[in-house]
Amino acid sequence: MAPEGKDTALLAGLRVLDLADEKACFCSKLLADMGAEVIKVERPGGDASRWIGPFWGNMAHPEKSLSFWYNNTSKLGITLCLESKEGQGIFLRLASKADVVVETFPPGYLRKIGLNYEVLSEKNPRLILASVTGFGQTEPYRKYKSCDVVASAVGGQMYVCGLPDYSPLKPYGQQSFYAASLFAAVGILIALRERNCSGRGQHIDISLQEAVAATLEHVMVRHFYEKVVPNRQGNLHWTNSACLLPCKDGYILVTFGREWETLVDLLDSEAMSADLKEEKWREEDYRRQHVDHVIEVLACWTRTHTTVELFELGQLMRFPWAPVSSPKDVFNSPQLRARNFFIPVDHPEASASFVYSGTPGKFSGSSWNIWRRAPLIGEHNTQVYGGELGFSLDELTRLSFTDVI
Amino acid sequence: MHGNTLQGIRVLDFTWLLAGPYATRILADFGAEVIKVQSRKTATGTESNATGYFNTWNRNKLSITIDMTRPESKELVLSLVKISDVVIENFSPRVMANWGLSYETLKEVKPDLIMVSMSGMGQTGPWRDFVALGPTIQALSGITYLTSYSQGLPVGIGYSYADPLAGLIAALATLAALESRARTGQGQHIDISEYEVMCSLLGPTILDYSVNHNLAVPRGSTSEHMPASPHGCYKCLGDDKWCVIAVFTDEEWHALCQTMGDPAWAKQEKFSGLLRRLEHQEELDEFLGQWTSNYTPEEVMNMLQEAGVASGIVNNAADLANDPQLKSRGFFIQLHHPVLGNTNSDGTPIRLSRTPARYRWAAPLLGQDNRYVYQDLLGLIEEQFCQYIEKGIIS
Repeated sequence: MAPEGKDTALLAGLRVLDLADEKACFCSKLLADMGAEVIKVERPGGDASRWIGPFWGNMAHPEKSLSFWYNNTSKLGITLCLESKEGQGIFLRLASKADVVVETFPPGYLRKIGLNYEVLSEKNPRLILASVTGFGQTEPYRKYKSCDVVASAVGGQMYVCGLPDYSPLKPYGQQSFYAASLFAAVGILIALRERNCSGRGQHIDISLQEAVAATLEHVMVRHFYEKVVPNRQGNLHWTNSACLLPCKDGYILVTFGREWETLVDLLDSEAMSADLKEEKWREEDYRRQHVDHVIEVLACWTRTHTTVELFELGQLMRFPWAPVSSPKDVFNSPQLRARNFFIPVDHPEASASFVYSGTPGKFSGSSWNIWRRAPLIGEHNTQVYGGELGFSLDELTRLSFTDVI
Repeated sequence: MHGNTLQGIRVLDFTWLLAGPYATRILADFGAEVIKVQSRKTATGTESNATGYFNTWNRNKLSITIDMTRPESKELVLSLVKISDVVIENFSPRVMANWGLSYETLKEVKPDLIMVSMSGMGQTGPWRDFVALGPTIQALSGITYLTSYSQGLPVGIGYSYADPLAGLIAALATLAALESRARTGQGQHIDISEYEVMCSLLGPTILDYSVNHNLAVPRGSTSEHMPASPHGCYKCLGDDKWCVIAVFTDEEWHALCQTMGDPAWAKQEKFSGLLRRLEHQEELDEFLGQWTSNYTPEEVMNMLQEAGVASGIVNNAADLANDPQLKSRGFFIQLHHPVLGNTNSDGTPIRLSRTPARYRWAAPLLGQDNRYVYQDLLGLIEEQFCQYIEKGIIS
């Protein structure tokens, strides 16, 4: 039984086979939470991404990976050995009834096992294959290995993150995988739209490197237009008009561009404006050139307040200020709570309901939701192989004994 | 059809700055007709048409002008809404309603309209009117706190990462709503919160707090939750030149050692096995950094990748513009702009084999498509069109 509302979901009726590891399981999660039927196809014993932490109860276990849980919500799960001839045959049967396949194997691997795009599309011309890899499907680097830190480095992200006198710094939390997954998901929906007209699928080639390089905001614009090579400057914004400052109880993001005069009045009302009332500081260029002094004076003031005080005061003045928040603060955010951002998800085996980060948007006429927890290893083998493909119980037992499923 | 994958989709685009224009650029790259709604009064700063920023985020779009502060403008906009599939905006939540252009009003003239509202905090909730830029959202989401070398001194990401990511989510939501409309005939209003976008990109870490009450801490450039050692950023030959190296398996460790010429230090007991290497990570990084400092990042990357070890150059903007892989894939594109001349920008990472993106034209000049949109699409006759201009409504 489909959960309530799922048959009217955004992508109801769309079937996706998910061969993706940690690089793109978020792509098929997005589609699954939008109501597509996503079947995660794992190797017998479970995907290696089940060993990525953190873990529920802090003990490494393939059914307790929180990374796997979060990135595989709303999916069904089956196991299948793609290395075996029989497994490949079964996959082709599944693919002939699917709309989309998402995969993250090294380029060339699918060809090796006879499941490359040409083969799949001959079976099912409407099939859309999305491939997410470190450097893309083409030379010269196609065979090169990647991971989050490599993608972050070669995509231009790390160089502009970190302190000037320290090593470049990788943004937290496998961001390159999320960016690439998003590009892949958008690409899939564009290809679907095109398929509505042409009746034909296509192959989508997403590179982690390009996904990172395409989300660098000012970096390449300034390089192409101003011949600048943007540098690392710690937590000081590249415009020199915003930075993180210490408070009594943490840090606050403070801006001091357009809001200058109001800000100086604020400091002055607490007798802490030092020399900033002098005429020369009204010039934005002058402030940028002497930003160290501005920061020094501002920090003396921010240290006398709490983050909450300054957050409230700043927002009252229409300044885009915010406290540097921890995941705990996020979890307790009154804004996120008021919008029901967090979604309780049932885990029957744990006799518990766990609270997940939800979906980043609300549709007035459909649900974008977490429909169920991530699948257990091979949880839906009987449903998919028995129901869908019509395998008998004996056959299922044999396939399981011979490690095909 | 080639490249006109989203042909026939008309988007009335009220967005500005980065997050919104990034969303509509994706749609425009694949052939949607994106009509950017501007006005002479607001086309300043980064919204000034002949600037690098504007040109980068607004290629393949059309531009019309209308002064939204004039009461007569509302009717003109409503007639445009009537012939559009999507209306998208990223103002503060009050603005569209103040103009009399709430979803309820727009739906009356175009019942199956898809309206996308992007904002920092979302259209509802106690913080809905809060002012937010990319760095504000990043601070609130936890990513600024978590991106650092150590606990206690937050560093964060050196640019507005949250904006393009929110743009991607908005593009995804728009396409999903179009897909749903094709099936059901129903439009809808979509409320995208950039704050929630960033929080959804930290899902496992927030879940770790939710189920374990673990308080995540910054982990530098380590592999965080996938055990790997060595794993990090290492100094290379040259000024501010760096490479990264990531070793997940013993096989990769042996390949790394072999590439380094099996130095004596690497044979020490304390570096045998992943767990021991993790335990002696600092010392290991010291040794490895001494080796990498003899080579350029390109040399390290090529040597190690040929040996089967994940490694990469820490590319700066100039390196990126000349990166062999990006070059061979034609990632950066060139478009001629009537004022700026030949201009460069990133293309789309979305590579479709049969109907690839098409880079048709650079960003439009202010109001350059007024005649096409108001006369050809909307059917205003010359006299009406001129009256709107004279009254300062099309302006």
